[in-house]
Amino acid sequence: MAHFLRHYGSLIGMAAIVLFFWVMLPDTFMTARNWLNISQQLAMLIVVAVTMTVVMVMGDFDLSVGAMASLAGVVAAVLFTFGWPVWAAVLAALAVGLLGGLVNGALISLIGILPFVATLATLTMYSGAAFMVSDGKTIFGKAIPEAFAAFAKSGIPIGTVADKPAVLPWLTVLALAITAAVWVVLEQTTYGRRLYAIGGNAEAARLAGVKVAWLRLSAFAFTGVGAAVAGLMYASRVASANPTQGDGLMLTAIAAVFLGMTVTRDGQPRVLASLAGVVVLGVMDNGLTQLQVDSYVREVMVGAIILLAVSISALGRKAVGLR
Amino acid sequence: MALEFTRRELGRGFGRALVLAAGFAAMGAGAAWAQGEKIAVITPYLAQPGTQFYVESFQARAKELGWEVNVIDTAGDVAAVISRMEDVVAQGVNAIVLNVDPAQVGAGLDAAAAANIPVFGMDAGADPRIKANITSNGYAMAAETSVYVANRIGGAGNVVMFTFDAFPPVQVRGAVADAVFANHPDIKVLDRITPDVSDGGIADSRAKMEAILAANPEPGSIKAVWAAWDQPALGALQAIEAAGRQGEGIVITGIDANPQAREAIAAGGNFEASVAQDFAGIGATTADTVARVLGGETLRSGVIYVPTKLITSANAAE
Repeated sequence: MAHFLRHYGSLIGMAAIVLFFWVMLPDTFMTARNWLNISQQLAMLIVVAVTMTVVMVMGDFDLSVGAMASLAGVVAAVLFTFGWPVWAAVLAALAVGLLGGLVNGALISLIGILPFVATLATLTMYSGAAFMVSDGKTIFGKAIPEAFAAFAKSGIPIGTVADKPAVLPWLTVLALAITAAVWVVLEQTTYGRRLYAIGGNAEAARLAGVKVAWLRLSAFAFTGVGAAVAGLMYASRVASANPTQGDGLMLTAIAAVFLGMTVTRDGQPRVLASLAGVVVLGVMDNGLTQLQVDSYVREVMVGAIILLAVSISALGRKAVGLR
Repeated sequence: MALEFTRRELGRGFGRALVLAAGFAAMGAGAAWAQGEKIAVITPYLAQPGTQFYVESFQARAKELGWEVNVIDTAGDVAAVISRMEDVVAQGVNAIVLNVDPAQVGAGLDAAAAANIPVFGMDAGADPRIKANITSNGYAMAAETSVYVANRIGGAGNVVMFTFDAFPPVQVRGAVADAVFANHPDIKVLDRITPDVSDGGIADSRAKMEAILAANPEPGSIKAVWAAWDQPALGALQAIEAAGRQGEGIVITGIDANPQAREAIAAGGNFEASVAQDFAGIGATTADTVARVLGGETLRSGVIYVPTKLITSANAAE
């Protein structure tokens, strides 16, 4: 019992948050439609957070994901204006994401720049590139093909909810598919286990024959492509693209992974824990909006909850360490 | 030792859950439950001065009407506007007021339409799914200043135009000024410039104006500068003053009457006129329009204009 609570204190806190909104908003919060909404709203953040988890298990992180999401969105949108078919523009944007991720990986792993410095620099570069590509403008309206925008508006029909037809949004499906794929990579493959080994002790991993440099480099491909996917999802959702629209994803995604780390047994980043972190942040946004809490108060509260969860977890680990 | 460990950890686990829950309970107690209509105002741009004006006057009018208004700022995030729209649709608000281009929040408009919740635009843009957009008449504003220019220069002389056709609300201003100047056979549009606005619009407009001044050194060769918004007008003013040509009587006009422009107009120099949008009026009229629709009225036009005001040195300090 004690063991259970020690490990699941944060999880209970998260459940308490959900329960709180359920009680405060008895008619509108715990409804299928609201949860479908929340899942769709969080889809972009889920993709960035779970792919961010891949580099965070090695103790690294990637500050450039928000800028990359913006860049991928405008790259696709600008290619649309050149008359490229949707699939080709999307592939090109994903290629930009892959390339950007590998550049980050090479800077960190081969040249040996600290992730903070390397990805801060590429953040600026990718953001500048997004402005260059788009000429600083928002690309919207007829420039965005109907089929591209329709992706975010449609989904798999799942019958009716409250007498209205409901769909499982494609955004949600895609986010969950990517989560599942990253979960398999991190939890079920030797590749993933080796990344965790690097996070535990990079030198020991190297001496044990793990190809640390190569693995670190390749792991950043996940954050790059993940950011590009999220940027495309974002562009589809707003049926437009501008050079800053994905920027907010980065800090929130890192916060979600940290929040998730408070749930895990050993304080390590885990894919499903990151997913839980994202859901908590999203539920707070949704619930507090419905409770008509002022936007600015909402932001302060979200930050405070993150700090609270992380500090309690840090204090817990410190106490264990002192023993 | 083992026992103590477990007990402490037990307390910690409970602690985490309790602290989170307690924080929420405290906040929940503070949430008010009013009886009136629930209206959500959603904007990514609350930090901008104009937006604050109309949101405040909307709130003031809503208070008189006994509404419960929830103002939601997404701090520049347009996708979050869609998310918050979905949230307030789930919450079951009576109406949603937007201050963002409807073309970018189509998914949110669909969600509101599916729930039969009317959506209004407060200086937002037109869309079939929006009951009405309450805004200033860009055509009328441009007519005010371009006619002011034509009258001031006696219907004759060279005019420099600063326009920005890539942005639809500003494009209409340029189109009206084109028509007014074309209607005066002796007015010649010397140049129609699209400044680079990535620096805010003043610096590049100044550089462009300096080039034009250099190309037209004769006093009287430029009679007026008509700008589709205030920043190029301010840039042109700086260029004219830096070139020492403020004594030639070049007439400058802008649109929007931002504080910097008002200051320049009040100073009585070349920058003579601009047009002020009635932001407070837009907010109050939006609230009144929401009230009309909630009262069962069907609106004929999807666009409702709030009158604007020509600002000259006579009233710039107001």
